[in-house]
Amino acid sequence: MAKGIWVFVERADSVVRKVSLELLCAASGFAQKTGDPVGAVLFGKGVDTTVENVKPYADRVYFMDDEKLATYTSDGYTLALTALANEHAPAILLAGSTSMGRDLFPRVAMRLETGLASDCTHLEIGEDGRLVATRPIYGGKVFCQVSIPDSSPQMATVRPNTFPVEEMNKSAEVIRIDSPIQEAEIRQRVEGVEKAAQEKVDVTEAEVVVGIGRGVKDPANFKIVQELADVLGATVGVTRSVVDNGWWDVNDQIGKSGKNISAKLYFAFGVSGAVHHVLGIQTCKTVVAVNTDPNALIFNYADYGVVGDMLQVIPALKEEIAKVKDEV
Amino acid sequence: MNVYVLVKYVPDTEAIVKVQSDSELEIENKYFTSFFDEVAIEEAVKLKEKFGGKVTVVTVDNKKIDALRRGIAMGADDAVQITDPALEGSDPFGIARVLAAFLKNEPYDLILCGRQAMDDDAGVIGPAVAELLNLPHVTAILGLEVADDGKSARVSRQIEGGKEQIHCRLPAVLTAQKGLNVPRIPQVMGMMKAMKAEVRKVDLAALSVDPTTVGESGQKVKILKYVPPPQRSTAKMMEEDFPENVKHLVKLLREEAKVL
Repeated sequence: MAKGIWVFVERADSVVRKVSLELLCAASGFAQKTGDPVGAVLFGKGVDTTVENVKPYADRVYFMDDEKLATYTSDGYTLALTALANEHAPAILLAGSTSMGRDLFPRVAMRLETGLASDCTHLEIGEDGRLVATRPIYGGKVFCQVSIPDSSPQMATVRPNTFPVEEMNKSAEVIRIDSPIQEAEIRQRVEGVEKAAQEKVDVTEAEVVVGIGRGVKDPANFKIVQELADVLGATVGVTRSVVDNGWWDVNDQIGKSGKNISAKLYFAFGVSGAVHHVLGIQTCKTVVAVNTDPNALIFNYADYGVVGDMLQVIPALKEEIAKVKDEV
Repeated sequence: MNVYVLVKYVPDTEAIVKVQSDSELEIENKYFTSFFDEVAIEEAVKLKEKFGGKVTVVTVDNKKIDALRRGIAMGADDAVQITDPALEGSDPFGIARVLAAFLKNEPYDLILCGRQAMDDDAGVIGPAVAELLNLPHVTAILGLEVADDGKSARVSRQIEGGKEQIHCRLPAVLTAQKGLNVPRIPQVMGMMKAMKAEVRKVDLAALSVDPTTVGESGQKVKILKYVPPPQRSTAKMMEEDFPENVKHLVKLLREEAKVL
């Protein structure tokens, strides 16, 4: 019988990605309903510190420490994860809907002959003890609730910031697994990483995002935008028109053909609110819109609105927020 | 180079899609070739222009072959429609099975598709087809350079905070991300060729696919119900003049929304 709610733990350099901790906390909640142990799975080279960091969040930590798994390759990690899943038969297997999660999980699901709910915005355990996942389709114009009724493990990738990280104090049993992989089986090789101009957290993972639309008018105006972002500890995101004008990198584009974000706080400056962009911000918790046009569509998708010129509002907002943060 | 591109005809970005009931959607009749698939087609045609060879576009669709015609109009040479009543209700895993069954007998050097179809947004096809064909895969590519001997490629993949440069053996399945290229607009000659193109039709029997592994009975993922997107009531507007409106906003963000 399949048992165990597992989370594939992703590392960025040697730090655990926050979404993995979010999912371990969520798994803990589900486990209270189903009685499953919570398992954390991680692969890499020299993972001792990561194992220690993950122990409080799981009942068991399964890890493989192997040079061949030092960097992510779909071949290496597919072989590792499917071997583990075949051996231990978890009931549920989760990962963040990150570029790694979306690269790995569909292949693993196919190999395990099971189903996968991609890019979920909500998960819960149904009456029958099985996962019910909510996910966007048609770019987020509608959502669907899905289940994986007849196969195991039930797999899902979940958007960052869907579940909160809570303090946990389990003490996981740590199980080291020998990696079953032969060198020859890995057909990809990572040769380098090109970091984006912006040093901050990726838009998809950031808790606060400052979104910029055509109202920015000129690339020179990004200076004040960055100053506001710095005060907020935010990442800057942009709309399609900004990218198409060549003013900012597509890496930070938010919207249907760009990225979906689930920030706690999202500012939309000079953003019209066209459907293309709005589909990317639906799961943000608090949305603030600033636009010179009182009838801009964006105000239908925001919690708070200011009618004004973003070039005037942003410096004032920066001052005010800096003041408020100083008071803490 | 023999490049195969997996394409899908899906509701347009501007098409209205609404929940009609738990089990039904209302979808406006405005369709287009899924944008990421167009990027894949463009990349394939560019490879043909550089290396010579053939581009074949493949779709799984019982009704429409417009995506195939788009592919031909952009420069693809051959078009294949996999169609069978038993395919109705297939989830992406079922579709991947069918595509792999077809591709297995084809002389591919490279298989391209979009990073996700703009209807189901699952992103399953690329990696799943690669798994079934025992090929390496890379998703969401932003750059592609095929080696002169066609045996490997340098691929740039989008990751959080930047791009990863990957060396990958070919043949492989690569899924296209926006930014890989700018898809060409078909010219008149291409459109005429597309209208006259012969489309090869293939059914499940021809592929020896067990019908119980596809269609509704083959679903690994079942849709329980459709729900509308999260609603937000209209924004609370700051009524004051500048700069009081900014002060008011910050106060609300701090005390009401509690996000500062």
